[in-house]
Amino acid sequence: MTYPRFRLSAGLSAGALIAAFAAFTAPATAADLKMMFQGDPYEVDAIGAAAKAFEAANPGTSIELIHTPHDSYNEKIGAAVSAHQLPDIVELDAPFLSNYVWSGFLQPIDGLIDKKLLDDMTPSNISQGTYPPDKKLYATSLVDSTVVLYASKKQLESLKIRIPKGVDDAWTGEEFKAILKRLSTAPGVKWPIDIFRGYGTKTEWIPYAYEPLLISSGCDLINRDTWKASGRLDGKACVDAAAMMAEWVKNGWVVPQSAGTNQFYAQGRPAALAWGGHWFYSEAVKAMGDDLIVLPLPKFGDKAASPNGTWIYAISKDSADPQLAGKFLSFMIQDPAFQKAHRDHSGFPGLKSFGAASPLYAPGGPMAVAFEQAAKTAVPRPPHPAYPAISLATQTAFTNILDGADPQADLTKAAAAIDADIEDNDGYPPFGGK
Amino acid sequence: MTAIDTPLPGTSDRFPMIKIVSIAIITFVVVSPLFLLAVASLKPDRFQILAEMGSFKAFWVDNPTLQNYRDILTFSGNQPFARYLTNSMIVLVFTLAGGMAFNSMAAFVLAWGRIPGRAIILTAMIGLYIVPQESIVLSLLNIVNSVGLADSFSAQILPFWASPLYVFLLYQFFSQVPRDLYDAAIVDGASPFQIYWKVFMPISLPALATVAILLGIETWNQYLWPLLVTQSNYARPISVGIAGFFGADSIYWNLAMAASVMMMIPVLVLYLMFQKWFVSSVISSGVKG
Repeated sequence: MTYPRFRLSAGLSAGALIAAFAAFTAPATAADLKMMFQGDPYEVDAIGAAAKAFEAANPGTSIELIHTPHDSYNEKIGAAVSAHQLPDIVELDAPFLSNYVWSGFLQPIDGLIDKKLLDDMTPSNISQGTYPPDKKLYATSLVDSTVVLYASKKQLESLKIRIPKGVDDAWTGEEFKAILKRLSTAPGVKWPIDIFRGYGTKTEWIPYAYEPLLISSGCDLINRDTWKASGRLDGKACVDAAAMMAEWVKNGWVVPQSAGTNQFYAQGRPAALAWGGHWFYSEAVKAMGDDLIVLPLPKFGDKAASPNGTWIYAISKDSADPQLAGKFLSFMIQDPAFQKAHRDHSGFPGLKSFGAASPLYAPGGPMAVAFEQAAKTAVPRPPHPAYPAISLATQTAFTNILDGADPQADLTKAAAAIDADIEDNDGYPPFGGK
Repeated sequence: MTAIDTPLPGTSDRFPMIKIVSIAIITFVVVSPLFLLAVASLKPDRFQILAEMGSFKAFWVDNPTLQNYRDILTFSGNQPFARYLTNSMIVLVFTLAGGMAFNSMAAFVLAWGRIPGRAIILTAMIGLYIVPQESIVLSLLNIVNSVGLADSFSAQILPFWASPLYVFLLYQFFSQVPRDLYDAAIVDGASPFQIYWKVFMPISLPALATVAILLGIETWNQYLWPLLVTQSNYARPISVGIAGFFGADSIYWNLAMAASVMMMIPVLVLYLMFQKWFVSSVISSGVKG
């Protein structure tokens, strides 16, 4: 054995390994402003370009963009909160805003963003970024969202089904049920409607897209005066509405979860209608062209309702430079290139000027009815710190009910879970209840 | 007839067609998703992939193109997939190098070193193995942040250099080496490190290959930890990069499929390289990968 040579080679190898390790593994450099966000690849590109343009316009300023995959965003935020490392700007899902503000993570942005931007926000956009107890704005966005019905014009015309001309003319609940029944026997139709169960069982889609049906039927996820779910979510109106949806599933009218999310426009068009988000338009129009029509959500009771709310930008309470954060947000949201990227991807307008400049949503545009619907019937999800519990309980209850569970029993269980969460937090003061 | 052709006890070749059909079905079940993945990665239009999913068209591509691969394989831009791939390779190489060294040295000392309380250490190590990573992830994140390693390669490498599973696996292998071999090396004047490096390592290739493959796959597929510990594209690995193609409103199936194919290749190469040793070691040690 040649010990010295062995020692030398071992020492050199270890040295080389450590040197290479040190060279490759130094932490990334720090920035003046940090922003955590999620989004589609085009949003990542648009935000990246806006950050570069801002840096160019403000020499010496650097922005670190922390892009996190959508499906893991909450884990990342949770970890940042635990580590007391929330970045300056945080993107969050609108219905969770009250929870973030109540927990003390965010600060008002009224005085931090441009007055021009503030004045340009649609009422729905303002509502999604406002914390009810102090009525201050905590978040803003270029975009908002809604859910509409999609259909084939040729198919409805051939079956002599009335095509609503606008929101005031929406199908009634009875009419809608008759249409589903008619479609169930129409040639080539495998399922009369896709309510996008394919998005999954633990998804915000459930309270977001199905709540309007409850509200239009005369109930809600929670009583917004007393902030109690029992008596409202498990009341007769909600139970009947949930039972109605369960009956659609039982009748075989709804695309099952296992069939995915493409049955409305896939070859042969197995699903006749789609209860889908505004973003679904760009997918469907690609396959269906002019045959695709957009309709308002049905009016099941005395009033029509539609959802709103999307991913919005807020400034964290611990931001080292909130003025700079507000300046960047104002710059980005009003950046023409940023707006174009969203317009090209059928972004739903959250600014009045953006709506007017979006041919898709402007009067006469193919999605004009969606913009009209948002203006007339949008109802935000309950703006309460208990929303995470409300959302989870609703997801579980509707998944079970659509899978055949008893609507009354599961909604009662959901209401009890929500009330327990509120009670555990002493009513989330100053919310309490009237 | 060679030994490998000898039927196992209790089996026979009486129903060759059943065997062939069964193997064909299993092969189809295993291979078809991979085939679909490869085919879809050659379709440029994500909407076309969705529209054809669920029909036989999903398994066919009329005008194959490498555009998806060209789109993702960049080092610049906001989702630089080539960079993610390189980052993953860096993490893999250094984790494997450090992991193999630390785990094997610890196993060697446990198996042959004169250390008091060996049984207690072994029991504690097995106990550690059942602690899920998720339960310590926040504490680990705080440690990494407090020592200034956030958003670095080190944060993805250092915590995985020591693993109770791999130490125990190698300990089992080392402790079965005949005592005579160890004693002969001592008589020869070898130091403990030389016995480890020149005697035990060369004869432990099957066990080392198993650890290399298991640790390699584990490192390559890590998601939660790199998600939490990386902030920018600087050190972000491919597993987190792929998830970026799954947006809030839509899924970019064309890019995700191409990225998945790219992500699969290194693991496949690693497995094929060590397959022979891996299989023999799994059989002998009873390890389930």
